[in-house]
Amino acid sequence: MVLVLAIGDLHIPHRAPDLPAKFKSMLVPGKIQHILCTGNLCIKEVHDYLKSLSPDLHITRGEYDEDVRYPENKTLSIGQFKLGLCHGHQIVPWGDLDSLAMLQRQLDIDILVTGHTHQFKAYKHEGGVIINPGSATGAYSSITYDANPSFVLMDIDGLRVVVYVYELIDGEVKVDKIDFKKTATTQSAH
Amino acid sequence: MNSSPVDASASDASSMPQKRFSNLRSVRWRIDLGVLPSSPPASIDDIRRVTADTRRRYANLRRRLLIDHHSPKYGKASPDLTVDNPLSQNPDSTWGRFFSYAELGKMIDQDLSRLYPEHSGYFHTPICQALLRRILLLWCLQHPEYGYRQGMHELLAPLVYVLHFDLDHLTQVQKLYEDFFSDEFDKISFPEGDFLSSHRIRRVKNWESGIEIENNLHKITNDHSRDELDPDTREMLLLSDSYGAEGELGVILSERFMEHDAYFMFENLMFGDQGVVSMASFFSPVAGSNSNLPPVIEASSALYYLLSIVDSSLHSHLVELEVEPQYFALRWLRVLFGREFCLDDLLVIWDELFYSSNSRYLDNDVEFNFEVLCSPRGAFIAALAVSMLLYVRSLLLATETATTCLQRLLSFPQNPDMKKLIEQAKSLQVLALESNILSSSCQTYSNKNQLTICRGYSLPSASALPKTSLNVIADRYWEEQWRVLHKDEELRKQSNGHLSSSGIMKKILTKRLSFSRTNSEPFEGNNAHALSSVRRRLFDDSSEVIEAAKDHVKSECNESPVISNNLNVGKGFPEELADQRTSNCMVEETFLSGHNALVVSTPTSPHDIGNDHENESEKSSITSNSFLGDNDEETISMEESCSQNKQDEESTNMEEPCCQNLDKQLAQDAEATSSGDVDSIPEQIAAPKDQKPFAGKFQWLWRFGRGSKEENQESKRSQNAGHIQKDGFDISQCDGTYASCGINKRIEVGDKKVMDTIRNLGQSMLEHIQVRYSYLSLVSICLSFHLIS
Repeated sequence: MVLVLAIGDLHIPHRAPDLPAKFKSMLVPGKIQHILCTGNLCIKEVHDYLKSLSPDLHITRGEYDEDVRYPENKTLSIGQFKLGLCHGHQIVPWGDLDSLAMLQRQLDIDILVTGHTHQFKAYKHEGGVIINPGSATGAYSSITYDANPSFVLMDIDGLRVVVYVYELIDGEVKVDKIDFKKTATTQSAH
Repeated sequence: MNSSPVDASASDASSMPQKRFSNLRSVRWRIDLGVLPSSPPASIDDIRRVTADTRRRYANLRRRLLIDHHSPKYGKASPDLTVDNPLSQNPDSTWGRFFSYAELGKMIDQDLSRLYPEHSGYFHTPICQALLRRILLLWCLQHPEYGYRQGMHELLAPLVYVLHFDLDHLTQVQKLYEDFFSDEFDKISFPEGDFLSSHRIRRVKNWESGIEIENNLHKITNDHSRDELDPDTREMLLLSDSYGAEGELGVILSERFMEHDAYFMFENLMFGDQGVVSMASFFSPVAGSNSNLPPVIEASSALYYLLSIVDSSLHSHLVELEVEPQYFALRWLRVLFGREFCLDDLLVIWDELFYSSNSRYLDNDVEFNFEVLCSPRGAFIAALAVSMLLYVRSLLLATETATTCLQRLLSFPQNPDMKKLIEQAKSLQVLALESNILSSSCQTYSNKNQLTICRGYSLPSASALPKTSLNVIADRYWEEQWRVLHKDEELRKQSNGHLSSSGIMKKILTKRLSFSRTNSEPFEGNNAHALSSVRRRLFDDSSEVIEAAKDHVKSECNESPVISNNLNVGKGFPEELADQRTSNCMVEETFLSGHNALVVSTPTSPHDIGNDHENESEKSSITSNSFLGDNDEETISMEESCSQNKQDEESTNMEEPCCQNLDKQLAQDAEATSSGDVDSIPEQIAAPKDQKPFAGKFQWLWRFGRGSKEENQESKRSQNAGHIQKDGFDISQCDGTYASCGINKRIEVGDKKVMDTIRNLGQSMLEHIQVRYSYLSLVSICLSFHLIS
């Protein structure tokens, strides 16, 4: 019953003033155990805010982040899963599944969380999961038009992870759910 | 299992004079708490069936409430994700429930980790912790209006412990009597020296061979050896038999269903099984239905009330220190003394506690003082608390500040004499039950005064008590007394001869007055305060007064051995007795000394009267109101003083002189101990004369005796009480004006009055010591007169 929040690309204050109000009302402290932030926050205030949601915060460096001490990649283990975090601007072409899969193999992880494209994506690929939580503020992106604010919440329970996607479409929060089960040994797809 | 052995053992059990299943606490408690049927003819089969039912209920509850939000919902195709996502604020979502369960669970875990560290070997095992956690969680989910409060786990822990203990006991008995408890049906087919049988290997039952064969074998082995078993073991056999009614589910001492049983024991304890005392109400801050106070506060006040009846000096001391009862009683009551005693002692206490029935014993239309005292169980709780207070009485009286007092209260001595405590509690329990009933005799009185009850109860308008006949007698009696008194004072000489008969009189009167309180109107605040302070002061100076009185007495009536006996008794009081006695003495003395010895029982110092009004009003109201036949000497004394006052003031304004007298009295005295009866006196004077002074006076007398009871040996006290009562009686009789001193204390005397009263009392004491003797004689005459009539 571990809840992990995957969020990123807020671009506050450069491209967006703040998180959407509806998102803010949903993100209350106490429920979430870990936060994986892909990067591009950009300022310390956002970092503090995320820290208030959960004490366990992991951030990787995005190209516009003002804090230069964030790492490029991060891996951690939650329950039975190994998770990896990277902003994604380092992986060219941006948002390309195969390239991201390379990173996943390189880090040897089950779940890879990247951003930069400002578009939500979730792939089941080669026995693992690659998730892009999109931009939590719906900030402008040169590669995505009309990005909707979105973020991802993962519920890790044993060998099973349920991915809830929260998107703000036309002012309403839409929720979607994807189930992934980790196969114990093989790397067979799906 | 055929039913005849069951019946035989059941009837054996029920025919035993002691409690059934007394060696199996868990069964005993389950019966007492109402989980299992308690009617004496309940056979083991019935018990088993009820057990099975309760266990099924619990299983359903558990399945329903402990949800797994991951599992696919039956019939729910696609849950609405906008509602059912983890971050949803929607209270309906399963995730919302999950989070609230998690929070509850966290709170419970916190408490459980601190449970009974000294028994951590049992309570801190993961199994036990998980069990406790589940039970508490389920209960809180089932009753969300109460939620989880700290302390509930401590109520549950002993219940689980006794279940576990009995299971241990069962396994031991099983080991001891392996033959009878084993399931070896086909043992018969194995020769004695067989390797297998000697190791008692459990055999898989051969279902095909037919159940009846097994049963027969079972029965045979049991029947012919049953006689060898003592009844207890036989009972254990039946209770744990897997083949009895309802099979495994009905096995009463079952490890598998420990959780189920514990849950229902807990539930019944918390809700009192539709009885009066429900522990759950103690945890809730919601005001009870009968008063404006939360039940636990009300229960704490009940505790103090009982204490004031039983030992008013300690009570007034605590009130003086401003130790509110709930400071310590909250902890005592909420976990039923779980924190004050070690587990083994606690089990003994809870045995007694659960044995007292929880059903309301009063009719619906009878007015009562405290909700909690309406059932024997509640009364036992209050009585035990009071007996605990009395146990550390000397420690408490020695404290000077509220903090030290509370410290001592909250660290009850280890290893107290449990037997003594419980015996005392049992006797006080009866007292508590009786004192709870509000007398309706004060009804007429109440109509005339605007007494507002401290606790917000309405004045009793209920039916009159059956004491009306006594009232009538009293009126006539007192009128006669009045006449007699005013006739001549030489009768005092004759009193000596009569005094001896007064003891007999007292006994008779006591018997007649052994109805429940006649006047139970609680006082208005101020009066009580003054009275109690007055009392206290009187107490303290009792020795002085007694000396003075004695001198007077001696000077005037040389050959009155009886009187001097009384005086001696009185004098003896301060020497022998603790405060209470002294105060009683004092009271007596004051009575004797003069009319306005209102404060008879309340030696108080005048300067203190003004203070603590608030605190004492309740106290005095309590004392004055709780006129039980054998309670509250103070009230009696108060009445007496009333009568005294009355007598003095026959003319118009009785109150003033009384007050003045009292004041004088108080001026001389130092401290006060007992409650503020003084206040009541002026009130009583003002009251209409159609009260029951007679009855009241007797109660006063009784209170005298009772007040000192706590501190001194019974014999001494009774003897003294006898004297006191007699004297008190005398005094009251001497007043002649009786009626006002009626028990119906509608005292609304303000501070001023109290002061006056006290002043008067002092005055009267000084001035009218001689009157005492005439009074005595008069009283004795009256007594004999009355006896004849």
